[in-house]
Amino acid sequence: MNLFRPAMTLLLCGLCAGASADPLDEPLKPLPAVPQQDARRVELGRRLFHEPRLSINNTLSCASCHQLDKNGADSRSLSLGFDGKPVAVNTPTVFNASLNFRQFWDGRVETLEEQSNVVITSPHEMGSDWSTVVERIANDADYRRDFAATYPDGVTKTNIQQALASFERTLLTPDSRFDQYLLGNTDILTLDEKYGYQRFKEYGCIACHQGVNIGGNMFQKFGVFGDYIADRGNPTVADQGRFNVTGDEVDRAVFKVPSLRNVAITAPYFHDGSAPTLERAVDVMFQYQLGRMPSEEDKRLIMLFLTTLTGQREDKP
Amino acid sequence: MINISRRRSLLLLTLVALALASILLFLYFKSSSDQTMTYTESRDLIRQIKQQNSLWENEILKARVALTHNYDPLVSPMNEMNRLWARFDAIESGHGRSDSAQWNEAHEGFLQAMQEKTRLVEQFKSHNALLRNSLAFLPTAEDDIQEQLANLADLDKLQLQNITTDTYDLLLSALEFAQVTSDDRAADIEVGLNKLKINAQRLPPAFEAPIKIMSNHISLIAREQPLVNQLLESIENIPVAERLDTLTTMLDRDQQRVDQVDRQYHFYLLLFSVLLMLSLVWLAIRLIGSFAEINRVNTALQTANDALEQRVEERTRELKNAQSELLDAARQAGMAEIATNVLHNVGNVLNSVNISSDLIARKLRSSKTQGLGKAMQLINEHPHDLGAFLSEDAKGKLLPGYLNQLVGAIAQEQQEMIDELNQMNKSVDHIKDIVATQQSYAGANSMTEPLFINELLEDALRMNAGALTRHHVTVVKEYAEVPQVMGDKHRLLLILINLISNAKYAMSDLSNRPRTMTLAVRIVDDNFLEISVRDDGEGIAPENMTRIFAHGFTTRKEGHGFGLHSCALAAIEMNGHLTAHSDGPGKGALFTLQIPLISVTENA
Repeated sequence: MNLFRPAMTLLLCGLCAGASADPLDEPLKPLPAVPQQDARRVELGRRLFHEPRLSINNTLSCASCHQLDKNGADSRSLSLGFDGKPVAVNTPTVFNASLNFRQFWDGRVETLEEQSNVVITSPHEMGSDWSTVVERIANDADYRRDFAATYPDGVTKTNIQQALASFERTLLTPDSRFDQYLLGNTDILTLDEKYGYQRFKEYGCIACHQGVNIGGNMFQKFGVFGDYIADRGNPTVADQGRFNVTGDEVDRAVFKVPSLRNVAITAPYFHDGSAPTLERAVDVMFQYQLGRMPSEEDKRLIMLFLTTLTGQREDKP
Repeated sequence: MINISRRRSLLLLTLVALALASILLFLYFKSSSDQTMTYTESRDLIRQIKQQNSLWENEILKARVALTHNYDPLVSPMNEMNRLWARFDAIESGHGRSDSAQWNEAHEGFLQAMQEKTRLVEQFKSHNALLRNSLAFLPTAEDDIQEQLANLADLDKLQLQNITTDTYDLLLSALEFAQVTSDDRAADIEVGLNKLKINAQRLPPAFEAPIKIMSNHISLIAREQPLVNQLLESIENIPVAERLDTLTTMLDRDQQRVDQVDRQYHFYLLLFSVLLMLSLVWLAIRLIGSFAEINRVNTALQTANDALEQRVEERTRELKNAQSELLDAARQAGMAEIATNVLHNVGNVLNSVNISSDLIARKLRSSKTQGLGKAMQLINEHPHDLGAFLSEDAKGKLLPGYLNQLVGAIAQEQQEMIDELNQMNKSVDHIKDIVATQQSYAGANSMTEPLFINELLEDALRMNAGALTRHHVTVVKEYAEVPQVMGDKHRLLLILINLISNAKYAMSDLSNRPRTMTLAVRIVDDNFLEISVRDDGEGIAPENMTRIFAHGFTTRKEGHGFGLHSCALAAIEMNGHLTAHSDGPGKGALFTLQIPLISVTENA
């Protein structure tokens, strides 16, 4: 109740203020602007992102799983590695990934640069090694020229990672209706959607999904109320989550809280891709994380709210 | 030598200047090391890290009391700290810090503390989110039960009241537990939960779900609250700030040491500057001294120079005087020389004159004219009978014949004397010429005139004819065909007479073979006229060859060593030269005169 009241007040204020330009002070924060970066490096990153030569057998590029014309991911529960075998965890969207406090489901690296290193050298994903990658890229006259133009030391592992990360930092999805709402355009949301947002807060979703990226800034145990993985069955090594990184028993089944930005279009859900629909994901969250059962109406409202988190890709019409 | 030592001293000076400059630079850089700037920046970074750390802890507390639901502020200070630390590390590692074990320890200490704190904060975030969520939800969960209870009509009022109170108590216990986490409260919650479980069995099945939800959340609170408290305590105990303080202390200490060193070098710099200053002053004094010395020496030099000039003038004047004296002496000597020459030549010619006059005198003494006088005496004794005397007297009869003979003899005598007088006249003319030559010497002009060399040679021979005849010298003439040339008659004659006279003299002691003198004239190379006089007399000793033309050299007892000297001079004055050759003593001598050939036609 203590939370409901101020939230209600805020909501009402928001309604009264109408389309006032003042940003709202909410636990959820609007998407920041794309950082200023060297355009040549970004462009190099874009090319490298679509570069199959990063995988050992020239079959996979970053974009193979992180499909930029779709949702920044693919629609498989588990993407296929260079060898055609499914990888260990579901591919999260690359959109807004730079806003996550760590990368990967288990948060094993802190930067996008390191993220590309892990994927490229993973024996299940791209299966390559840096000497091969650097050699292949350096053998391409265009790459060699463009790298030399913006990096004094030309084609190196570090520079390839930096270029990729530079590009990935541009992959934000601005102008979601909810962002516009947060920025003060409160008329952009329908009343139901506003109620949905209110329910979202009320039910405690914001305990974890908050901040700029609406998630992606903390670790949380998957299965606070009940053991989801046991209920799902067939536990894997990947299901151990952050335990695989720290070896600490308290980190068992602990995962990075994913961002809810674009959540409506990034099915399937969870680290194992075990929730094929948004509704299923919401249900699991209520049951295993919040330990509550929402009314059908509240669930509908929350899901309505979640659709307002879908942003725009600049290179999409 | 001077050049080398100057170059060496210049090199030395350059080296000294370079050494001083490098010492100055060294001290300057040592005294103004960039350590201070680094120190300020490092201190500032540490301060910023500490600030972020405080901010972080502040955000943790805010999350703890559920002031905020946004966990981004719990991420950003950490990122900021890591970023600042990376900068700090980059600055400090560039300073050889990694060499110091103490520094490494402090460094590692911070990193470990930071890592531990990060780990704990991540756990805190997870657990706190759950705890806050459950705490926030608890009243609602309780409301859900109470609402249902209120709608429950068919239950015992008292029992319902108890259940309501129990549920409410449990809520309160849980909320209290959240505020003051103690084992008592935990026990209370345990009791409450058990009661709720029992109560649930008395209630209809519809209560099962809400009660289970509430129990779950209260269990979660009971589980998570101590955990969160413990985590907070642990986080508080993580000595990140202390580690930073340690680093600051070390930075301060280092800085103090650096300051100390800086001050030291500043002092050295000051000392060095004073030294330089003193040496500059010393140099200036030396320079002033040098200037004074230079001025003094200059003045002295000036004075000496003036004196010297005066002396030079004096000496020049003396020299001039001496020279003019010398010139006078030389002129006198020259005149004496010329006079000697003239006298010598005149003497030579006078010899001929003397001989001629002797001859004439002798002829006159023994003249047949006395016979004419005797004949006239005989005629005068017979003034009246001259005819008879001439025809009858024995003596008278001889007289006409005698007179006839006498006429013939007198005529011959007269002819001989005329010849001799002519010869004498020629000699006298020569004497006149010699005197004229002497006069021409005074003018130093050579008088050239057209002449035939052969005639000149004949003249020369004639002038010596008496002596040559007396000495029975046979003259061989080898005259080539020579055109009329321009020449100085007197000089040539002088030379020829001398050479002929010398040749004659050289052969005067010759008794075992005929005395032959060879005169030759020829043209050499179309340019030179060569006249040579060869004798087969006593010759010239090799040791005398070089001295033969020297003034005063002679081999004759009564000679004065002037003849050949004047001849050589005359030859040179005619642009020619006179050379002597002899195969040795007793083998004769050859004197050769060469003069430029200037034919008359050519000249005209």
